[in-house]
Amino acid sequence: MSPDVLDGFFRATQYDTIFAVAVGCLVGLIVGMIPGLTISTGIIIVLPLTFVLEPEISIALLLGLYVSGMTGGSFSAILLNIPGTPSATATAIDGNPMAKGGEAGRALGIAITASFVGGLFSFLCLFFISPILADVALQFKSPDLFSLMIFGLTIICSFAAKSLVKGLLAAVIGLAVVTIGQDPMMGTQRFTFGQVNLTAGIHFLTALIGLFAIPQLVDNFADIIKGTDEGNTTKIKSVFPKIADLKQMRLPVAIGSPIGSFLGILPGAGGPIAAFISYDYSKKLSKNPEEYGNGSPQGIAAPESANNAVTGGALIPMMTLGIPGDPVTAILIAALLIHGLIPGPLLFVENGEFAYGVIFSFFWANIFNIIIALVGLRFLVKVLIIPKTLLMPSIAILCVIGSYALRNNFFDVYVMFSFGLLGIIMRWLDMPTVPLLLAMVLGRQIEEYLRVSLIASKNDITIFFTSPFSLFFLCLAAASVFWSFWAEHRSKQEQKQQT
Amino acid sequence: MLDLKHVFMGTVAAALMMVSSQAQAEWPEKSIEFIIPFGGGADVEGRMIAKAMSKELGQPVVPVSKIGGGGAIAYTHVKNSKPDGYTVGWNSTSILTTTNIGNVPFDYTALDHIGQVAQQPVPFVVSAKARWNTLKEFMDECKAKPNTLKIAFAGFGSATHMAGVAMTNAMGCKPIMLPVKGADRRKMILSGETDAAVDIFFVPLKMVKAGKSKFLAISSGKRNPAAPNVPTAKELGIDMEFDLFRGLSVAKGTPQAIKDKLEAAMIKAASSKKFSGRMKKLKITLAPMGQKQFAAKLKKANANIVSIMKKAGMYQAKAKK
Repeated sequence: MSPDVLDGFFRATQYDTIFAVAVGCLVGLIVGMIPGLTISTGIIIVLPLTFVLEPEISIALLLGLYVSGMTGGSFSAILLNIPGTPSATATAIDGNPMAKGGEAGRALGIAITASFVGGLFSFLCLFFISPILADVALQFKSPDLFSLMIFGLTIICSFAAKSLVKGLLAAVIGLAVVTIGQDPMMGTQRFTFGQVNLTAGIHFLTALIGLFAIPQLVDNFADIIKGTDEGNTTKIKSVFPKIADLKQMRLPVAIGSPIGSFLGILPGAGGPIAAFISYDYSKKLSKNPEEYGNGSPQGIAAPESANNAVTGGALIPMMTLGIPGDPVTAILIAALLIHGLIPGPLLFVENGEFAYGVIFSFFWANIFNIIIALVGLRFLVKVLIIPKTLLMPSIAILCVIGSYALRNNFFDVYVMFSFGLLGIIMRWLDMPTVPLLLAMVLGRQIEEYLRVSLIASKNDITIFFTSPFSLFFLCLAAASVFWSFWAEHRSKQEQKQQT
Repeated sequence: MLDLKHVFMGTVAAALMMVSSQAQAEWPEKSIEFIIPFGGGADVEGRMIAKAMSKELGQPVVPVSKIGGGGAIAYTHVKNSKPDGYTVGWNSTSILTTTNIGNVPFDYTALDHIGQVAQQPVPFVVSAKARWNTLKEFMDECKAKPNTLKIAFAGFGSATHMAGVAMTNAMGCKPIMLPVKGADRRKMILSGETDAAVDIFFVPLKMVKAGKSKFLAISSGKRNPAAPNVPTAKELGIDMEFDLFRGLSVAKGTPQAIKDKLEAAMIKAASSKKFSGRMKKLKITLAPMGQKQFAAKLKKANANIVSIMKKAGMYQAKAKK
């Protein structure tokens, strides 16, 4: 075992890092719970804080938020039948009937425990797979990395979009936005129109705040005007799960954890898909599938273990390759870059203690998640009563602060609002925004790797096909595009048959 | 017209200075903005200096990062700030490169400079397994086979680019120059994708210590105590002296009394235990330097960079002479 593992453990176990994880978990549970606030929005809220903190501490805080946000989403799914985050949608199927039957506490307890096991399993994957993958990735050269990024881009578009064309279109907008600013190779200014503020380009996080938070706020305000109310929460008795429930959970958790971890590794798949697949499989393998849908404890455990296992899985490509799997890991990459740490295989070589620190912070995040959730649940659910008329304006203010604090430049606030407008238009067009954001993260690297490969090979395009790694990734990219075309075609046909 | 405006503003400033000369005795009366142009190490060190300077000046020195455009945004902000000493810029060699390559419409003389805090050389790095053991061996092979050997550097017009161009030009070598960001440069050395790299000193030093790569030469005038066996470019017959520096700048026309106070505070902050400790740990040479010395250094370094850029056809300064 390398000494970095121990160093990383101690770094992650210092009192300030642990405190940050705990705070992150608390915030994560709250934002995850509130319908209309996603984990991304939660991160936007704490973002300005992280700039001033040490890198380990700010990453620890964000990890806590990420892990607990996944768990928190299930609370409102169970109590109100409104998933707090998209990943908790599958949890509502069985969670809400159980809560309606007067066993809200039992449902929540099962969800929390399943989350914990799923998260812990994915921690083990992260801990054992990352260093190996990083070792392999060290051998990747620029053409290989270019093809890998292309693969990342195609898989993201195919998963995130209901319509492939709209998904690809969103990605193209993202790639176009990336070209603004100084050209990464020659420093030539592109599309800056003589505006010094644009030389640095559009910051990913500025765009993210605008694209995610603004349309969400507009939606929430619309709800307030319409006067939709979520109703009252039911009383919660004991949340600690019973032994009988734990026994029943074994099978679904054993299915959900690996499915979640594996799908987390694939860029773009993410929590909602993992949760549904795991729910499906455990139903098929269960001895009493007829219980599913009527408040079965297994039906809660399967999706909850899967969506929390996604978190650790998604950290694997983020840490070792610098490829984000979802908006949250994209934000984590941006947060690392702000601190001058570049996620990628070299992180394990040059900043090994930091890389392992992140991994162990993820471990602590899972521990604190279960502790805070089980102990503080009864107080936390009170958050659901906070009127949106108070909550939403505060978040709007935090959006402005966040986009300003990023570079201390008020120009970025205008950029943020422009992206907010774009986000509203895209929502109106039913276009997904996630491919746009991930294209922004990958776009710059795609350009850099493409151009470096071409300079090194004296403009010989065949290098992308002669390197085995590169060829492999390109084939995967082609397969993923082909697959999503096929899937879209099939779902259209199914719709036709149904009507 | 523009000149008239400057003259007018100058007179006003002079008049104000006389009026406020008494007030200056009490400078600083409010918090000072400390503009940081880069993230990463520059940011961490900038914050440390700012903190230590707050102690010296008795007013908070607030770090504000304005990242982007190779320092262009931060330097423009400092240049356009009021010359009252309440806006201080954390500069680097980029103040010479970003200006001469034409990212901003002024040159380094558009600001007043307080002094230098630290400096580090630019090393020429190859893999530990590489067949070259001296810079001459590398350059000879490069000369014999033009356009085959690859050298990675940080980006067009950056300090590492300048140093790389200066070394290869002097030796008559025509390499393929690969513009590659930070960590990827070190990775490319390990994976063998590039034959050599021009890097900043302290980061690849870890790799050298780990026996994964080696330095063939460094760009500064003197050998570096952290790598005493590495010859300087000058020793190898290349007429160059090039350092990456960090220091402080303020808006042009800042009263001398304020600049002197800032200089004293900066030098004390640089020698503070915490800051010198970090420099020692990172193997960056702590070299505090006042206004006069720094002005001379800047003049020399600027002429050096302009001549490298002109030779390479990159000189595009937009400053009005």
